[in-house]
Amino acid sequence: MKFFVFKVRDEFLGIESQYIHRIIDDSKATPVCLTPDCYEGLLYYRGELFDVINLAPFFGYPKKEDVENPRIIILKWANKKMAIIPDDIIGMIWMEDDSEDRTVFHYESHVLRLLNPDDIWKKLMGLFYGPNKI
Amino acid sequence: MDLTKYEKIFSQESDKYLKELDDLLLHVEKDLSNSSLWTEIHGKIHSIKGMARALSFDKISDLCHLIEDWCLKFQQGTSTCSSASVQLIFDGSDILHSLVSKSGRIESLEEHKLYNSIISGFQKSPAEVTNNNQNQPTPLLTASQPRLTSIDHVKIRYSHIEELLGLTQEIQLLAKRFPLFSQDKLSAGLKSWVDHYNTLMKTLYFQLTQLRLMSFGDFADLFQKSIRNIAKEHNKNIYVEILGSEIQADITILERLREPMIHIFRNCIAHGIESPEERLSKHKPTEGRITIEAKSEKENLYLKIRDDGRGINKSLIIKHLKERQSLTDNDINNMNEEEIFNTILSPDFSSARETTDLSGRGIGMSVVAQTIDYMGGSLSISSELGRQTEFTIKLPISLSVIYAIIFTIGKHTLAVPTLNVKSIGRFYDNSEDKTVSYYNLRKYLGIADPEIKSSNFLSLKYAKPTGSSISEGNNLKLLADNIIGNRPLMVLPAGELLSKIKLFSGIGIMENGDISILLDVDNLP
Repeated sequence: MKFFVFKVRDEFLGIESQYIHRIIDDSKATPVCLTPDCYEGLLYYRGELFDVINLAPFFGYPKKEDVENPRIIILKWANKKMAIIPDDIIGMIWMEDDSEDRTVFHYESHVLRLLNPDDIWKKLMGLFYGPNKI
Repeated sequence: MDLTKYEKIFSQESDKYLKELDDLLLHVEKDLSNSSLWTEIHGKIHSIKGMARALSFDKISDLCHLIEDWCLKFQQGTSTCSSASVQLIFDGSDILHSLVSKSGRIESLEEHKLYNSIISGFQKSPAEVTNNNQNQPTPLLTASQPRLTSIDHVKIRYSHIEELLGLTQEIQLLAKRFPLFSQDKLSAGLKSWVDHYNTLMKTLYFQLTQLRLMSFGDFADLFQKSIRNIAKEHNKNIYVEILGSEIQADITILERLREPMIHIFRNCIAHGIESPEERLSKHKPTEGRITIEAKSEKENLYLKIRDDGRGINKSLIIKHLKERQSLTDNDINNMNEEEIFNTILSPDFSSARETTDLSGRGIGMSVVAQTIDYMGGSLSISSELGRQTEFTIKLPISLSVIYAIIFTIGKHTLAVPTLNVKSIGRFYDNSEDKTVSYYNLRKYLGIADPEIKSSNFLSLKYAKPTGSSISEGNNLKLLADNIIGNRPLMVLPAGELLSKIKLFSGIGIMENGDISILLDVDNLP
């Protein structure tokens, strides 16, 4: 199994390579009001719109402000699409997969957690979009 | 009623069918007994006839009707087709071309004679028409002066357009990375060159994005054959009417609508439209009618599919609601008509295998509704028992280009369709006039310093929204920090996440590729 590996703080995370559409570092997401903290903004890339999600706040870490040209990973799966921003990108790795539903692997001396875009999407759909309730 | 618009549509559509007809005739000439080619030819003629009838172009519909009779004979093999028969249909096609261009009128005596002789040709059986026939009409145009049509269209693969879009964007990005382009120390001459280059690139990109739009008429045509085939399966005669052909929509969205639409057609044909005998007994024309209509209203695109069949029996749905979903009379009384009909779209209804008139009405409709829901749209049903059933697909925006006033509030770039804006003005905080209330979105949008007053306002036209805090009257002045201007925007749907925000009606892409959020004026908090 081929994974694309990246880091959010000290965590190693991976996504199956088949979901990776493109990685870009020369575009910025346009911020959108009334969205949750992890919603970095919208990206218009090659005629398509992508919701850009910053993974650090998505996983509950405080957001790093003013990261210059963050690398954006564009994902496409089933008939869905989105883009994510990790803290760091490691690269593509190959893992011998011994069971189909494994979500945790050993990568060098670290634990690598496999993310499923559908799960991220479900969680995003459950977040609140709208004005802050005061 | 002003028919000019419909006449124009008729002429465009018929021209297309006639071109296709000529191609098919060329093929069938080499394969005279190919019944599937005859079926296709029949289909083209039938479509022209239907449209001509609707506009009372009797000369056209009468001729089409006779040609159809012949086609049917060749399809079923009850008559043998000869090259003379094909020639007569070619002649028929020629005169149809001429009639279509003159809104069904015959203007010269010569043409009149020709028309009559062609008609009398078709009134005979195909076997009676031979090459030596004395009555064979002189072709409308001789071979020495063939009908020349200008080549003004080319076919192009959609992926090719995507490729071009990609390349253009790549060039734009490349330019951004070129150190010289981003430096302030450029000489004035070079700077103006760079600016010019950038503007051209952006315009090129914007123009290319326009290639992704497809006219609804072309899209609806894709279904003609499927509808015909499904109708045949069910032994029904159906005439398809297409309205709103000129409306344009993004090809990627239309592509995703194809399957749901086929499903709806299948439903209309199998369960909506009655058999010719049943229709006759109900004093309806034996030919059922399916209307496919596109409408663009505000930021929404509406696609309606209507059949003039038996309608949906509401009492059967109510029975289902009571028996299967244990709803009380009171619950049902609280439901409006739309909610009752939309029960058909629930997965629960689809799986209900009731052996009633309703069976099948809902099969798979929940899947259709889900697909449309995923696109950020909605599907609703209305019906009149014995008269018609209408499926309405509502999609968030028409996906075409609109003009909008672009402005900023805080760091956000927002837009309101120009149609909704009455005027733009400067706002002075010390304004004496206390009767006008200004509307400040800063706090709602969660922008820091909500009390800061912006320096401009947009005076908006809006329909009084229900449950809104805005006071009566339609003189709403929305405060804005900076007015960027009146710009063309390519509108894209907001996507599943952002469509949760009622205030957004779509995402606008400006000519330079920048993003602005289109506000739904009628949904201001």
